[in-house]
Amino acid sequence: MNAFLAAFWAETLKARRSKVSLLTFAGFSILPLVGGLFMIILRDPERARAMGLISVKAQLFTAGVADWPTYFDILLQGMAIGGAIVFALITAWVFGREFSDHTVKELLALPTPRGIIVGAKFVLTALWMLGLSLLIFVIGLAIGAAVDIPDWSLKLGWTSFRSLMTTALLTIMLMPFVAWFASVGRGYLPPLGWAILTLVLAQVAGILGWGDWFPWSVPVLFSGMAGPPAEQVGVHSYIVVLLTFIAGMVATFAWWRSADQAR
Amino acid sequence: MSFAIETDGLSKSYGPVRAVDSVNLRVGPGEIYGFLGLNGAGKTTTIRALLGMIRPNAGAVKVLGQAVGPNGRGPWRQVGHLVERPAAYPELSVRENLEIARHLQGIADRSATSLVIERLGLASYADRKAGALSTGNLQRLGLARALLHEPELLILDEPANGLDPAGVVEIRELLASLAHEKGVTVFMSSHILTEVEGHATRIGIIHKGRLIEELEAEELDGLRSRRLEIKARNLEAAQDTLAKAGFAVKASENTLYLSEARAIDAPDEVATILVNAGTPPIRLAVEQENLEDHFLRLTGEKE
Repeated sequence: MNAFLAAFWAETLKARRSKVSLLTFAGFSILPLVGGLFMIILRDPERARAMGLISVKAQLFTAGVADWPTYFDILLQGMAIGGAIVFALITAWVFGREFSDHTVKELLALPTPRGIIVGAKFVLTALWMLGLSLLIFVIGLAIGAAVDIPDWSLKLGWTSFRSLMTTALLTIMLMPFVAWFASVGRGYLPPLGWAILTLVLAQVAGILGWGDWFPWSVPVLFSGMAGPPAEQVGVHSYIVVLLTFIAGMVATFAWWRSADQAR
Repeated sequence: MSFAIETDGLSKSYGPVRAVDSVNLRVGPGEIYGFLGLNGAGKTTTIRALLGMIRPNAGAVKVLGQAVGPNGRGPWRQVGHLVERPAAYPELSVRENLEIARHLQGIADRSATSLVIERLGLASYADRKAGALSTGNLQRLGLARALLHEPELLILDEPANGLDPAGVVEIRELLASLAHEKGVTVFMSSHILTEVEGHATRIGIIHKGRLIEELEAEELDGLRSRRLEIKARNLEAAQDTLAKAGFAVKASENTLYLSEARAIDAPDEVATILVNAGTPPIRLAVEQENLEDHFLRLTGEKE
């Protein structure tokens, strides 16, 4: 039996049996639902006025335009922020649960090397997060079509899909450090604390004008939340994200391979 | 001779605390080695070092002739283990937990899971979620995982923990049969001394991180001290009589103890002395210290 496939099978079984997979899907699918709700409100101003605060908020957010470009913007920007939170939850659970459930000691002295188990965890989290992103896009399309938003084009759909998946990929590349915090911190709280801290720091870096150099700001900048992405995100931004990804992976693998597991 | 377990000067410290101090262990193939120690004596730290879960500060560990660690290296295909309290994925059933272990052990034979479920008496719990198991059944699940791949060596930390008396006997017999019939080496720590006393072929006692005694089961009889216990209706008078006869008498509230060989070897003479003095014994027995007493005396927990 291939060691990686065996470890990957084990990880998928744990994920399938857990409520976390359902919760992350439910949590993330709020995004296209909210986007669709905004579109419904904006398409009918009478109704928007009748709904008071919600419609005011919706008009502020989208400048009152109900069309596919605006709808995709909502999805994209929601992905940049929501992805950072939901993806961190997934990573914290996949790695941190072994410590919270004290099952880590069952993974250390096995014919399947520790590196393979960690690799399987990373592959599972990446597929899980990409799958969620894909699902959000598909649900988004379905809701958009159901609401009958104007100004659809295949080109717009493709460009938006690429942007959404790129934002997701950039966010996923920041997750190894969450895995490292879950391992070193032996549980859920340290990685979630880290995820919240990086969200705050990303805002600060953006305000200071250094967001394009700060890896945790890059997905938000790319999504266009802080203005047109092309003007801010450059090759250097992708490089810092890549370096963060590599550093997080190396740190996590090294920790699992050689840290004392005394608890 | 090649040993199943071999440590040389194994030491591990956590900050200023020396958890394990220069431990030299030799466990031969097919032995049942009882590893005794009080809480915090260093049993679990030693077991974790044997399994490559922690890196020793000094010394070397060999398991089945292969050096252990760093990087989790070791002959783990041939080793089954249970460390501290058993853990399982709570939302997975007993069978699914064992299926995960089967995959990670690289066992292609699907029947291995059902076999070990039967063997450990878990058949009626096979589809129950591990989170809903009693402590005893969780312990059985941990043992099932350790035995799943039919290892040559079992390293078990308190295997009888949480089991009811019938379960303790059952597991004891299972381990004994594995050792006798299949030549499996068993290294087990325990705080239930009678558990070890019954079937261990060798016993090691660890105290404050140091292996303070190691003995063969047969040696235990010779090492245990014996004493003559005497009860009489007039204990004070009996004590005076024996003291006058030249015995060093120790007394508790209702019993007198004589440790000298001339008393232990000739209790009839002691009885005669007491009868002649008009304080006949109502009970006279040579008692041998059990492992528990020996252990407590050795670790200084009892005089």
